[in-house]
Formats: sequence, structure tokens, C-alpha cells
Amino acid sequence: MIQLIWAVLVLLLGAGLCLTPLGNRTRAGIGVASQLLATALVWYTLAPVLFGGATVRGELAWSYPVGTLRIELDALGAFFLAWAMPMTLLGSVYALGYMRPLFDSTRHLGVHYALLNLTSLSFVLVYTAQHALVFLLGWEIAALAAWLLVIWDFTNQKVRFAGFNYLVSTHLGLIFLVAAFMILYAHSASWDLAQFGRWLQDNTGSERDLVFLLLVASFGLKSAFFPFHSWLPRAHAAAPAHVSALMSGVIHKAGLYALVRFVFLIGRPDEWMGWFLIGFSALSALVGALYTVGQRDLKRLLGYSSTENVGIAGIGFGVGCLGLSWNQPALVALGFAGGLMHLLNHAFFKCQLFYAAGAVYQASHTVDMERLGGLGRLMPWTALSFLLGGVAISALPPLNGFTSEFVIYSALFNSAAIGVWAKVALCAAGALLAFVGAVSALSITRAFGVVFLGTARDASVHAPGEVSRWMLLPMGLHGVGVVVLGVAPVLGFMLVQRPTAIALALLPASRVDVLQPIADTLGRVGLISAALALVIALLWWLRARVPLTAATQRPTWGCGYTAPNTRMQYTGSGFSWDFSARFRGVLLMLQRQKAPAGYFPSDSYVVTDCVDAVERRVFSVVANGDASAKTWSSWLREDDPRIAFGVALVAIVAIAGLVVLSTGALP
Amino acid sequence: MSPMLIPTLSHVLIALAMPVLLPGLVNRTKSLWAGRKGPGLLQPLWDLLRLLHKRPVYSAVTTPLFRAGPWVVLAGSVLAAMIAPILGQLAPLQFSHDFIFFAYTLGLARLFLMLSALDVGSSFEGMGAAREASFTSYIEPALFLLIGSALIAGGGSSFAELIGGLQRSDAFVWLALPAVLVLFVLLQAEAARVPVDDPLTHLELTMIHEVMILDHSGPELAVMQYAAGLKMTIYAGLIAALLNPFDVATAPLAAVPAALLIMALVAVAVGCVESLTARLRMRLVPRYLMLASLLAALCLGSAGWLVRSL
Repeated sequence: MIQLIWAVLVLLLGAGLCLTPLGNRTRAGIGVASQLLATALVWYTLAPVLFGGATVRGELAWSYPVGTLRIELDALGAFFLAWAMPMTLLGSVYALGYMRPLFDSTRHLGVHYALLNLTSLSFVLVYTAQHALVFLLGWEIAALAAWLLVIWDFTNQKVRFAGFNYLVSTHLGLIFLVAAFMILYAHSASWDLAQFGRWLQDNTGSERDLVFLLLVASFGLKSAFFPFHSWLPRAHAAAPAHVSALMSGVIHKAGLYALVRFVFLIGRPDEWMGWFLIGFSALSALVGALYTVGQRDLKRLLGYSSTENVGIAGIGFGVGCLGLSWNQPALVALGFAGGLMHLLNHAFFKCQLFYAAGAVYQASHTVDMERLGGLGRLMPWTALSFLLGGVAISALPPLNGFTSEFVIYSALFNSAAIGVWAKVALCAAGALLAFVGAVSALSITRAFGVVFLGTARDASVHAPGEVSRWMLLPMGLHGVGVVVLGVAPVLGFMLVQRPTAIALALLPASRVDVLQPIADTLGRVGLISAALALVIALLWWLRARVPLTAATQRPTWGCGYTAPNTRMQYTGSGFSWDFSARFRGVLLMLQRQKAPAGYFPSDSYVVTDCVDAVERRVFSVVANGDASAKTWSSWLREDDPRIAFGVALVAIVAIAGLVVLSTGALP
Repeated sequence: MSPMLIPTLSHVLIALAMPVLLPGLVNRTKSLWAGRKGPGLLQPLWDLLRLLHKRPVYSAVTTPLFRAGPWVVLAGSVLAAMIAPILGQLAPLQFSHDFIFFAYTLGLARLFLMLSALDVGSSFEGMGAAREASFTSYIEPALFLLIGSALIAGGGSSFAELIGGLQRSDAFVWLALPAVLVLFVLLQAEAARVPVDDPLTHLELTMIHEVMILDHSGPELAVMQYAAGLKMTIYAGLIAALLNPFDVATAPLAAVPAALLIMALVAVAVGCVESLTARLRMRLVPRYLMLASLLAALCLGSAGWLVRSL
């Protein structure tokens, strides 16, 4: 307990020192060192909790109306803290390389490092708070710190707009959260989450449903579920790479943490809540995956894939909720363990992908796919890192993304004793997940193939070579995590075992151990994955060692055409054109072009871009609200008797319906 | 000696030999329809051996990934063939929810096939990869929907158990035909056969699988072709497993020949389809594949309905 307070103080002190007039190098050093110390302190406290020890509790007296501040670090909070803090530390290390060109400039890098420290601090607050106000404080620190980190390049108007968009969205989410907390406070007369939970467990009914919906809306906005995602691609494209990585991989996981926390507080959710979560999440996974296909900005693409992946984890949590309401321990274990593992795995591979995208940006000063190409030969380590992350994000063995999706699939294709139609619905969700997996494999093939393979598409883009070691180090560590969690998924499962046990404890005690079979199956999956990886490595090595015959090198075959040039390669838009043409309702394609004109055309171009349908429609309603209301109302002519009769009929039916509803069927 | 040894050994042998025999059988069928005598059944084997002795030519723009690609494709396909219960209700690698591993190992093979194609920087190969990526995503849900139907109709957790459960269930007579049809379309899509793709076309613009391996040569090309045959074996084997009337664990001497016979019949059917129909126009292919997915979804729905009413 005392170590947590020390960690908070160390982070605050580090942030304060970063703001003092020292050199940029010293400030960066202080930032990283304070994060390292705080991470060590936090891990010292959480390691026993995560591996079976008692919950760490503490109280701090505070004056009225706040009351006692209760701090509690249980297995769920410990699980999230266990990777959130070290990954933020790695992000700060990456910043040493990414911000290197600015070290000797007049920019105040201390602010940046202070904000990274505050991000870490918000994790300690959010993941341990049992007091609603402390929770909200941590929530708000994370939101503001992320906003300020996003607008690092504030002289660019687009960046300022993206930051403002994020700020507004995240506070819309806060409104929902505060509303839910107000209802809960009004009923429990307490700021304590445990008291909230007591009311939620005892009072089923419409008010609890309302609280649940408010909470899901707020946490959905935080974690960028569809249709609350529109701020995300902008923010991720505008922020420095490590900030995008931390936002996508770590900071927004707080939304899902809070969701799981409140599901645990509700205890036995209603059945509709589980179905609602599955539907909401499946929609996010589907639309997020579809949007990744159309993007030409590498970081926007990765941003949309966050929406997809929180959706996949959400499907797991939904199945867990169904298990809680049906009293099916196997479903609870598979659902929550799969969802939590997916969050951990996603944090590993998504940060890695963003770090690789940042390396591409630093080397070539653009992340526009259509201008890049052939970076694999210039930046082999970055390419390898992106490939590992890409294989993992497409949920392919032998890497870690597969293991958590395996558990979620097992939850969907379960053999539990539940209704036939419920099973049909869960299997259909499994098939949808398969489609999402195929689509994300498509978009990652496209991204990797276009950016790293082939040859450069634009002669004006020069990449000097591999990036600084400070940037390669975090990529490498994440890569190790991706591989290790892939070939030894039992390690990941060990981390989520205790949090899942909290959910199982909500059910009546049962003698059947539902966690051990999952661990056994995952052990087998890990063995086969490791064997696959070894066989591939062995075959490749043997082929390199034993040349059957001498190989020769020639230019790529041009299918008979003798003067191919690099502009004739397949582009990113070309790669996805056929697929996205089938989903025009979701994937809005904007095309700007200037056709060649005159006898000696000098300037002509075609630019295609995939824009966000949700954002565009919201903007069009905001911009043309009055006009569209006027258009609709002009259809209604007051002297048309048909409308008057029709409206009167509807009104009579509605009134009669209300009367019948309030009094029961007439005698 | 374990009683499972003989079925397991025959599974491995059949899975490794069929990628050579089945394409030979398809080609023989096509020659007979065309009124020719045709090449021998083992001709694909001689082709592979000839390729192994050829000198490979690598494109100058490739990265090490291009040379690793074929081996990933081979390893992934072989692993998938060891998980698929092609002889009926048994597979060498069998565990709870192994069908997910099966589908995603094939996915890994496909990813590296597409990346090797993109590595040479040719527009034709990019086109092939793009088609492969989008077409397979339309058909990807089909296998999972079929597995869902088997789960609801019969129950079980591993691939082999699910097939056994489906065979024993009352709904089998109703679900067998649509399931075989869906698996047949999956075979055509994954093994690049007519009407989805034409392995014999000589125009790069109309190819899918062949255009992706345009720049592979020598041993790498042999590996890619063997892996393509392996995928055909897997799906033909799944059809055989679904229709196999014998249980390989209790009656291996009856089940193994039955499986071989059904797989041969599937190859003949593939050959007949290729002789009698033309490749679909490229923009109709997605509809054909989506139709298979839709049929699989109908299987799932009707499995639920049949279980409730039977």
C-alpha cells in the first residue's frame, strides 16, 4: 500500500523536475528514471496480488463531503497495472529516439515527459480507486494528459483539430459516466464503489438498466467502440507515434477495465446485458475491421484496428456476462479470460505496430502508403517488427494474437448446456469473428506489402536507413512479448487466472475446476505453435544452408512488358478496391482528381481517400441541420387532409395503446 | 503397439501422398473428357522432382521473406493436414477446439503466400494477392458456420468428434448434402480450381493462385505447388470424413479404403466440373463464394431448427 503512494509521489516529483529549467536530455532522463522507479514500486505491490496473494487495501481519511478515500488493489486492477506501467515506461524510452531531433532545439521536452508521467499516475489512480471521486480524478487526468500529448505538434491546424475532437468526445463520455455515478450516489448515499455494487446487485429493474447503458456508452467512448470511434483515427494519426501507441494499447484499456469492474459489481447481470455487449462489440469488430481496409494513412489504419480489437475483447466479456446470468462457470471462465488475454495481447502487438509506423515516419517523413514501398530492405528490423505485429494482429499462430482469440472462439463454440437458439447465435458470432479475422489479414497484408515490400513508389521519399536504437529497443521487447506469449500462452493465462476467479466467485460455489482445462488446452496450443515456429525456422535455415542448385538474380518478370517502372506496382487503394467496393455503405471513398487538359498537360492527379461515415454524417447533420429540417417539413402540407387524418389515426391508436397498457385489457 | 498407430500412420501417408495423386486424377479426368489419353497419374510427382533440380531465379527486389514464404506455406499446410480428420473421426493432432487452429494455420499459409507475391513488386502479382485476400474473406465464415451446425446437431469439441457427432445425429440426412456442397466450394476456392480460378489459364489478368507464384521457380515453385495440392487433399478429405460410413478407430481396414475412394471421387468431380463449365467472370466469383457462406448459414439455422423439432 505504502509503495503505491510512494510511486505516485515519485511520478509527481519526476513530472515536477521535468518542468524545471534543465537541458532537454536531463529532463528526458529524469522522466524515464522516475517511471522506472515507480514501475518497480508498483510491481513490488502487485506481484503478490496477481499470483494469489490477498488484496491490498488502504484508507485515507478526508474531510466531508468527500469522506474516506478507500484504495484497493485486487487481482483485476493488478492485472491491468501489471502491463500498463511497464508499457508506458517503454513508450517513454521510445520517445528518447523519436524526439531525438528536438533534443537540441528550443522545444521544451520536459512537458512531454511530465505528461507521460501523469499518464502513468492516472493508471495507479484508476486501477486502485474504490472511491468514485478518485476514480473520476484519475479518469480525467488520463484524458487531459492524452489530449495534451496528442497536440504536441500544435502549430499544425489539423493536429489541433484532432486534439479538440478528442477532447470533446472524451468529455461527452465523462458526462455519461457522471450521470451514472449521480444515479448510483443518489441511491447508495456513498461514493464507494462497493456500495454502488451493493445497490446494483439488489435492485434489478429499469433504473439499473439505465445505469448499465450509461456506463457502456461512457466506456465505449473511452475505448472507441463503434459508433463512438470517430475521434480515434484522427487523434492517432495526429499524435507522435509513441503517444498513439500508448493511447491505443494502454490508455484506452481503462474503458474496458471499468466495464469489467462494473460487470463484477453488478454480480449477476441480466441476460440482455450479455447479448447487448456481444452485439455492440461484434458491430465494433466488424466495422473497425472494414475501415482498416480503406485507409491509406498507416496510423489511421492502426487506429481503426483498435476499434476492431476492443470489439473482439468485448465479445469475450459479453459471453462472460451471459455465463454469469445463466450460471455457467465454463462460459464465465472462457469469456472473461479470453477477453482479458486479448487486451494484454493487443497491448503488446498494437504498441509494436505503432512503434514500427513511427519508425517509418521518422525515416521517410510520411505514413501515406501510396508514396512508400520497399522499406523492408532499408529498415530490416522495423520491417520484421511490423511483420511480427501484423501476424499477431491477424490472430495467426504461432504468435500471441491467436491465443486469446482461440479462447474467445472456444467460448463461442462451447458445449455448455444452454438453449439451442442461444448456441446458434453464439456460433453466428463466431463466424462473424472469422470474417473479421480474414478482413484484418487482408488489411495487414496490404499495409505490410505496400509499405515494406516491392520498391519505392515515390522518388521524392528517401529513407536513410534504420532508426535509432532507442526506438528499436521497445519494438524488440514488444516483439519478444508477442512471440513468448504466442508459444507459451499459459504465461498470459496465468496473469488473467486470478481476475477471472473474481468473476467465478460471483457464482454459487461449484466443485468443478473450469480454469484448469483452459490452461491444459492452451498448453497444447502453445506446444504446437512452438513446433510450427521451429519447423519453419528449420526449413528456412536448411534451404539457406543446402542450395540444391546455384540461384541467380534477375529483374521481376514483367509478363512480357519490357519497360516496367515502380509506379506500375499495385497500390494500397488498388489492393483493397474490389473488397471495399462491396461495402460502399460503410466505406465512403472520396476521390479528388484533376484530369489532364490541353495539348501539353503538366499537372494532373487522382487522390482517393476513405473517410469516416459516422463522422461525415454527424458533421453533415450539424452543418445542415436547419436546412434538412426545412426540407423534411416542406413535404408536409397543412392543407392536405390525408396527413391530418393520418396523424389523428396514429394519435388515437397511441392513446388507446397507452390506456390499455396502464389499465390492462379492457373488461 | 498402440491401436491408434495404424490409422495415424495411414493418415500421415495419405495426407502426404494425395497432393501428388489428386491433381493427377483431376488432370486424367479432364483429358478423358477432352478425348485424350492424358498424362499418367504420377505426372505431378515427376513435375515436382524436375522442379527440385531446377536452378531458381530470384527477383532482384525481393527480401529474405520471399525465400522464407514457401516454407511457411508448406509448414502451415502440413500442420493443417495433420489436424484435419481426413480419415473420419480421428486425426494425428486432436484437441479441444482444434478446428480453430486448423483454420488459422491455413490463414498463416495464405498470408505468407500473399506477402511473397507482393515482395516482387509486380503489378500482376499484387493483383493476384488482392484477389486472394478479398475472395477468401467471403468464404472464411463458411467453415465456422458448418462447424457451428455440427456442434448444434451433434456436439463435441474437437474436429473429429464434431464430425462423428454430426454423423450420428438425426439431422445428418438433412445437413449432409448442403455441407458437402459448401466444402466443395471451399475446395474450389482454396485449391484454386474452376469456376473460381483456372490453373491452366495462360492470361495473367485472369489468374488468382498462379499469378501469385509467377516469380517463384525451382524448389520454391515445387513447394508452392505441393502446398496447393495439400489444400485440395485437406478439403477432399473433409468431404470424405463427412461421408465415410466407417469409424476409423474400430474398423480401419474398411474406413481407409472408403476414405480413399471418396477422395478419388471428389477429384473426379472436380475434373468433371472443370471440363463441363468455364471459369466464372471475375466479378461473379465473390457472389459464388458468398452463396456458399449463405448456404452454410442456412445449415446453421436449420441445424437449430432440426434439433428443436426432431
